[in-house]
Formats: sequence, structure tokens, C-alpha cells
Amino acid sequence: MFRLFTQRSLHELYRCRQFVSSRVTKKQLVTFHRTVCRHRTFTPVLARPFSSGSPLRTDVLQPKGDKSAEEESVDLDKWKSVMRSKAVPEETQQVNIDEEASDDDDGDLTEPEGDLKGRSLLEATRDLVVMWQQAGKLVPHEMSDEELVELSKLTTKSSRKKFLKYLALKEGIKRARKEKQQRKKAEREAILEQKKQEGGNVELKNTFLLQYWNRSLDKLLAWRSAQAMLFNQPLVFDMSYDSSMSKRELENTVAQLMEVEAWNRRATEPFHLHFCNLETGGAYEKELVKRYSAETWDKLFITSTDRQHVDVFPRERLVYLTADSPNILHNFDHSKVYIIGSLVDRSIQSGLSLANAKRLKLATARLPLDQFLHWEIGAKNLTLDQMIRILLTVKETGKWEEALKFVPKRKHDGFLEKRNQRDVFVQNRVRGVANNRPAKDSDRLLKTGQRNAERTFKNVDQSLYRLHNEPRSHSRDSTAGLFSDRDRKPAGTTVRVSLKSKMVAKKQAGKGKMWWGDE
Amino acid sequence: MLKKKTALAAEDEQEPEKELDMKATRRAGKLQPPDRPLTIAEWRKLKESVGNLPRFDIKMICALFSSGSELGIAKSLLTFVAVETGTLSYELLLRYLTLCVHGGHDAEVFDVYGIMRGRFSTLDTGASSLFIKSFSRTARWREAVNILHEMKVVTPSPRNYGDVIAAAMLHGDMMTAWALYDELIENGLSPQQDTWETLFKGVKRTTEVEADNISHSEYEERLRGILSGMRNNQIYPQYNLVSSIKSWFESLPGQKWTGNWTSATPKGLCRCCGSELESIQLTADEYQEIKDRVMTDIIQGRDVFNKTTPEELEHFKEFVKRRPSFDVVVDGLNVANANKDKSKQSATLLAVVSELERQGLTVLVLGRKHMLRPSKSWERHNMNLIQLKAHCFFTDNISEDDPFLLYATLQSGNHCRFVSRDLMRDHKACLPDGATRRLFFKWQRGHQLVVDGQVAAGRMVRFQSVPSYDTIVQTSGDSWHIPYDNTEDRTTYEVPQQWLCLIRGSNSTQ
Repeated sequence: MFRLFTQRSLHELYRCRQFVSSRVTKKQLVTFHRTVCRHRTFTPVLARPFSSGSPLRTDVLQPKGDKSAEEESVDLDKWKSVMRSKAVPEETQQVNIDEEASDDDDGDLTEPEGDLKGRSLLEATRDLVVMWQQAGKLVPHEMSDEELVELSKLTTKSSRKKFLKYLALKEGIKRARKEKQQRKKAEREAILEQKKQEGGNVELKNTFLLQYWNRSLDKLLAWRSAQAMLFNQPLVFDMSYDSSMSKRELENTVAQLMEVEAWNRRATEPFHLHFCNLETGGAYEKELVKRYSAETWDKLFITSTDRQHVDVFPRERLVYLTADSPNILHNFDHSKVYIIGSLVDRSIQSGLSLANAKRLKLATARLPLDQFLHWEIGAKNLTLDQMIRILLTVKETGKWEEALKFVPKRKHDGFLEKRNQRDVFVQNRVRGVANNRPAKDSDRLLKTGQRNAERTFKNVDQSLYRLHNEPRSHSRDSTAGLFSDRDRKPAGTTVRVSLKSKMVAKKQAGKGKMWWGDE
Repeated sequence: MLKKKTALAAEDEQEPEKELDMKATRRAGKLQPPDRPLTIAEWRKLKESVGNLPRFDIKMICALFSSGSELGIAKSLLTFVAVETGTLSYELLLRYLTLCVHGGHDAEVFDVYGIMRGRFSTLDTGASSLFIKSFSRTARWREAVNILHEMKVVTPSPRNYGDVIAAAMLHGDMMTAWALYDELIENGLSPQQDTWETLFKGVKRTTEVEADNISHSEYEERLRGILSGMRNNQIYPQYNLVSSIKSWFESLPGQKWTGNWTSATPKGLCRCCGSELESIQLTADEYQEIKDRVMTDIIQGRDVFNKTTPEELEHFKEFVKRRPSFDVVVDGLNVANANKDKSKQSATLLAVVSELERQGLTVLVLGRKHMLRPSKSWERHNMNLIQLKAHCFFTDNISEDDPFLLYATLQSGNHCRFVSRDLMRDHKACLPDGATRRLFFKWQRGHQLVVDGQVAAGRMVRFQSVPSYDTIVQTSGDSWHIPYDNTEDRTTYEVPQQWLCLIRGSNSTQ
């Protein structure tokens, strides 16, 4: 950034000098201009009545006897003489600009024998970008050699424009973010400075609570992930789609996978993530290592393997989640291993992951989107980060209503009302008031159990509870999950079943009570 | 998205006040261009009055362009900027150039060309295109050829070529025109119809005036080449083009061509001359080719699992082999779904199948397995009747049925047709090249039956008529039949209905 600025200002300076010198050399012309200028500044009052009456036909230079009208026409074409007078120095200037533009290309320039054809193509492409920039097209200010090569490989004008626009937007976002960061930094420093000047009381706060550091949280989350790798339910990402994606789609996928890992790490009860079919040295791994850095990638608490998921897990436990599946995932099964195809398809490639599942004869399922959501527009495939949040929530709470909140709002128009279940309808209304808490009597029993659970839980491990930066109700849900897990009965089925039949739910609640009674 | 754009736009200015100003003017709407050339002082005042907008010059010239103002105003703006800053930016000159070219001020364009050449080492594609367009209209058109050759980093557009070719034709330089036309074709571009039009028109004019270094017969050969190119690429000329083709034919000396606007009878006869148009039926070779391509590219594709499974495909092949060859294959779900009333789906399908059976045809009905499960839409009684009247094959619920439809139809031979409303565009898109796609489209036009109107109980089931002739540019030596577009909104699955019939006079003695 700074470099750019200095270059630009230097450039300006240079141009000024050129201009001055040109003025010196073309003294006659300049003086002529100056006289005209002076003349004009004095005469507008005189000239106006003539010019306003008849707008000039400019192409055909009509000879006019009137003196002021003649001046007007001279005036109109004056820019030409200005530009022409500067034509020669500007040409050298242009070379200068080009040199500046191809600054990072200097390494190539020193090479004695490059492949001339390729280089000239690159040069031409660079010229093209420079000229498009001057023509005011949406083009990045700086381009790496890698990007330039990619650009020169594109064959059509529209594809080049699209690529350059993408780069330019990316650059703009990056710059805006950097500027914002700098501004914030400056503000912070200013406040600090101000405080220092006001009085030297920048002493450390004295509190009875221990300061909670970020790294402590990191450590805790890492422990939890490590624990998940030993004991928790696996979740597989099928990384075999790199051949059916473009470079940009692959980059998007990796960005989404990073989000997946982050959400999973922050969850109360993470999945054990497996990246299967991850070819060593393949495009996927390269991109992952590039984004994470090799060090972090090695430290990450996930299992990455080049083996197939069917070799890692028994076939009967695997379920491929795909939007094209005919089967609906009604209940989240904690004993299954779900597979998500890590694929971003900007141009929809339907049936791709289903084809893979069919080939391996795996069970397939899709999310119960139609059962819970009033679907409006858009394909039913979801991004990877949406998928992990849905799965994490349904795993913790067992409620699809909670989990499917992560489906983008633009695609649906709210949740479906449950038909022919009056009591559930009532429940929904109550729920609206009572902060998403189930209000059926059977559930109420459960809830008291939950409260107890929460309290004891707090007593057992207070620090853990304090960690939760999620809302209270959420933590309650999670503890409920814990409690039912202890009960050797998955939380998901507990609540779903309770909605279906009161009997079962009562039994569950009874169990819960018994358990707490024991405690 | 908006945020991104403002981030980009905000790069130019540093002070936040300015940014605010800009936003304010943006809200207020576009700049109001002046109605006469202003002096420098007046421009300065105007600029200050809108709050010293950044990029005031560019915005103003855009406003001038969109309001279609006098060129003089733009000139005065340029003068103002030149005096103010000592130079003019490339972008401003480019916009000014656009203004000149669109206003038809070609003399001014020459000046701008000189200046821009002097100032900048290269020109961008936009400027080059504008110069080409403008120069082609004038006597300096040869320079346009040079500009065209300069911009070869990006392949010039067909429009660029077209402009220069038109100029060359206008000035009687056949060699250049045809050389450029060949280059255009070599680059894999498809020429615009205007370009063809100028080629047809230009020849007429110059053959009368001068005998160029290309002989008459060569012109004729070339232009007939264009026509056969249209045939090979299934291109239908617009009305303008086809009328210049007509007048070219009619102007051919000593051949006495007469052209008539006409249409074809359902039987495939020209209403004008009564001659038979080419049949839509495929030749044996073509049929074999389309059969192979459909198998490899549509059904198996890149991954056979995408649309079906290998076991199912084998099973189906075996099924088709065991049965006698079918006369008609019905896409069960498609036909049934034509009826909006869900409870009448199976009845609709039954009506169609019964009608086909009544005609004494061997029918195959394709469906999915879920149709066999009795439900409101798929009544057991109707489904049983259908299975009695026709051969049936039900694919897995997750497999596509269209590929099976295509396979069964193609396997049964050239006489076999299929019933479906599907336009089959997604399957056509699976085919690798244009030629095969056109072949597929031809086969589809000749073999697809579409149920006409609603199927109601007690009414005869009708099918839309299948054309017996191929809609394509065709010749028999002494006659040409050229289908042409006279509407703008023909979709890709439709073909034109209008024809130009050209016949050589009977008493022609060359």
C-alpha cells in the first residue's frame, strides 16, 4: 500500500516536472494559451450572449466573421492542442508507467532466454489489464504473476472480464478491511493516549475473579476436541470431489471446511471429524495446508486419511447425507456415521454424491426439510458450515426445529405448523412465550429434571458452565443432552419420541426422575 | 454486494466529508448536464456547485452521453479539464470517443485517434472497437484493418470483423473482405447476420461496376459456401438477410432465378414450386451414430451411477432384447403428469395407452416403481389395465427414466416413436458437439409424439402432428429452399415456418 502511494506521488512529481519542461520548450504555444486564458477570464460576460443563442455545430467548422464566436471555436478545440503539445513527453511517461506496472516482472526481464512466446503473451495480457484499468473497468490494481498466468489462459473476453472483476472485488474488500483495522487501531491508541494524559491511573483492575484468557479457552476447546477424537460420534467428510470442481469452487469448499472445523471445535460436544479420501499431495490437501499453514494443519484435531470411508468404518453404520436421496432422516441416530460430500457446485451438479453412495451401496438420507420448513426457493443442498451446525444442534437437542434454524432464511418462509395435533399447536404458542421451552406436561417433568441437572452440573464443574458464551437456554439444552446420554438413551430420540406419544415420554421422564432420585 | 462496491468506490477519496457529499449527490440523482458549451469559469462554478465531486469529468461526460447532448458541450468540458489539470485521462478520452462514434462525428474521431495514439502506447479493446467501427465508415477504413490486427491479444469480436468486412465490401476490396471472413471462421467465431448481408449485397454492386481480381464464379462459389455453412450449422437467416440473398440470386446474370416467399404443406411439399422437401428421417449412418452417442454420452455419461446403476441398465437392456421391437415408447410419468388433477393421473396414462393400442401399435410404458404402489393417483385397476395393454418397465425411484426412454426408442429402430412433452434439452446438452446435438434435435423432431390438448374421459386422444420434412437450408442444384426467421422470439426447440423458394428459370442457357 505504502509502496503504491510513494510510487504514485513520485509519478505525479515526475509528471509535473515533465509538464514544466514541456512548457519551457513549447514556450510559444504556452504563451498563446495563456493569453487565451486571460482573455477568457475577462470576456465571459461579453461572450455569453453569443454562445447561448446558437449552440455550436462543432464538426463542421463554420467560418464566422464575428470575433468572439471564433474565439469560442478555438476554445472548444483547445484541449487538442494541449494534448498534442504534451504528446511526446507523455509517451516517455507511458513507458515509465509500464515499467512501474511490470515492477514485479523484473525477475523475468533479467532472464536471457525465456520462452518468448509465453512471455510476450504475458506482457500483452499485462498491457491489456493496464489499459482496461485506465479505461475505468473494474480491474485489480495489483496482480500476482500467478493470477496473470491464469488470466492469460482464459480465452474469451467475457471470462477475462469476470475474472478481473472477481479479483478487483476481492482486492477492494481486503483493502477496506485493512483500512478499518488501521482506523480502529488508531482510535484505540488515541484513547489509550488520552487516558495516559488524563492521569496515570492505568493500573490493573483488581477483581476477585481470575482473568480468563483466550488461550485458556483455546486449551479447553482443544481438550474437548481431543476427547471427541477418542469417544465421540464420527462425522465423515468425503473429499473425493476435487475432480468435479473448478479451482474457485475448491477454494470455497476449503473455506467452508475451515468454518466446519471451527464450529465443531466450539460445540459442547463435538463430532470426531474425518476427512476421508483426502489424496496426499492432491489439490484439496494443498489448499487446506495453504489456508491452515502446515503447522496448524498438523496440530488440528481431525482425522484425515486417504482411505475410503467404507474402509474405515463398517458399511452398515454409514449413512450418506445427500439432498438427492429418496429417504428422509427422521431421527438422528447417534450410533451411525454420517457422511457429507464436501462439494461446492456453483453450477448445480445434481446426483453427484448420490451416484457415489449408489456405487458403494451405502444407505442414504436427506434432511427433513420439507417436513419442517415451508420451502420457497433455492436448491435443497446446503453449505458445509450450515450442515455441521444443523447436525451439531440436532445431536445436542434432538429437535429438528432448533437445528433447521440454520437453513438460510431466504430459502424458506418459516416453519410448518404441525397439522392435526391440537396440543402441539398449543405447545407452540406457549413455547413462543416461554423461551422455546417445551411446555407439555410430560416435558415439564423432564424440565424439572433438567433444572436439577443444571444445578448439580454447576456444582460439579462451575468453570465449565461459565465458559458458555451461548444463551442460557442453550446451555440447558446441552446439559439435558448430557443427562440423557448418561442414561444410555440418545437425547434426540428422547424428545422426538415424547412428541409422538405421551406414554413413552412419561416413561423417559420417569426414568430421569429415578435417576435423579438415585443421585 | 453494495458494501463491496462502496468499498471500491471509496478508494479514491480519503476524507469522509467528500464521501458523504458523493453519497448525497448520488441520492439526489444524476448530474444535470448543461445545455450549451460552458466557459472554463462556468465549468469551475458548476463543479463547485455539486461539491467538487471526485471524478466529476467522467460523471459529467456520462451524463452528456446519456442525455444525447451536443458535441460542443463535451468539447468545452474537455477543454476545461485540460486547462485545469494539464492533461486528460484515458478514461475521459474514451468516453468522449464513444460520444463521437455514436453521434457519427467521424472527422472528430480522427483527431481523437491521433491524440490517443500519441499519448498512449496501446489501446484497450473498447477503444479499438470504437475506432474500427468509426474508421470503417470512412475512406480511412484500411487503418481499421491495422487496428484489428493489433488487438489480437483477445480475439476480436465478430462485430469487429463485421465492421471491417463491411468497409472492405463498401470500398470494393473483395480480397481483404474474404480474407477477413476466412480468418473469422478460422477463429471459431460465428459471423453476424449483418456481415453475411453485406457480403451478399456487396457482390451485387461491384460485379456490375468492375471486374475485380476474383472471378464471378468464385464469388458465387463463396456465397454458396456460406449457404451450405448455414445448412451445416442449422442457422436460419433473418428476414433482412434472406431478402438480400433473394435479390442476389435474382441478379445473377443469365441464370434467371426467381424467388418466392412460401411455406410448406404438412406432407412436406413446397407450396410454391410443389417440389418435395428433404425428409426428416435419418439415414442409416446418421441413425447408427445417434444411437451410439445417446448410449455413451447420455445414458452412461461420465458416471453411469449418476442416472442409473449398471445392474439396472443391464437389466433393462435384457428386457428390451427379449421383447419384440416397439412401435411407440411412452414416458409414463410425463404423460400422466400432463393432467393437473392428481387423482386422474393413471386414467390419463391409460387413455393414451389405449389409444395407441387401438392403432395396433406395440407399446412400451416406462415408469418408476412407486407407480405400482396403489394410491390415489395410481389406482391399481388402471395400472393393471395398462400392464395388460402394453409392455411395462419400472425403474428405481431414484433413477432417471428419460435415458431409458431414449434407449428403448433408439433400439427399436427408425420407425419407433416416443410420447413425452419433455423438450429433452438437458439430454441434448449432454452431447459433446454441435453436430451431434443438431442430429439429436432432428431425430427428436421426427420421432416425438406430443399429446395434443387435455386428455378427458370419453374424448379421443390426439397427438400433435410430426413434420415429415426437415427444416433446413437445402438445394437440388436448380432450386434452393431456405427457411427463415421472421420473428424475434423463436425458442431453441422451435423451427421457422416460413420459406424462401428459389428456382432457376427453365429456359436458362448458360
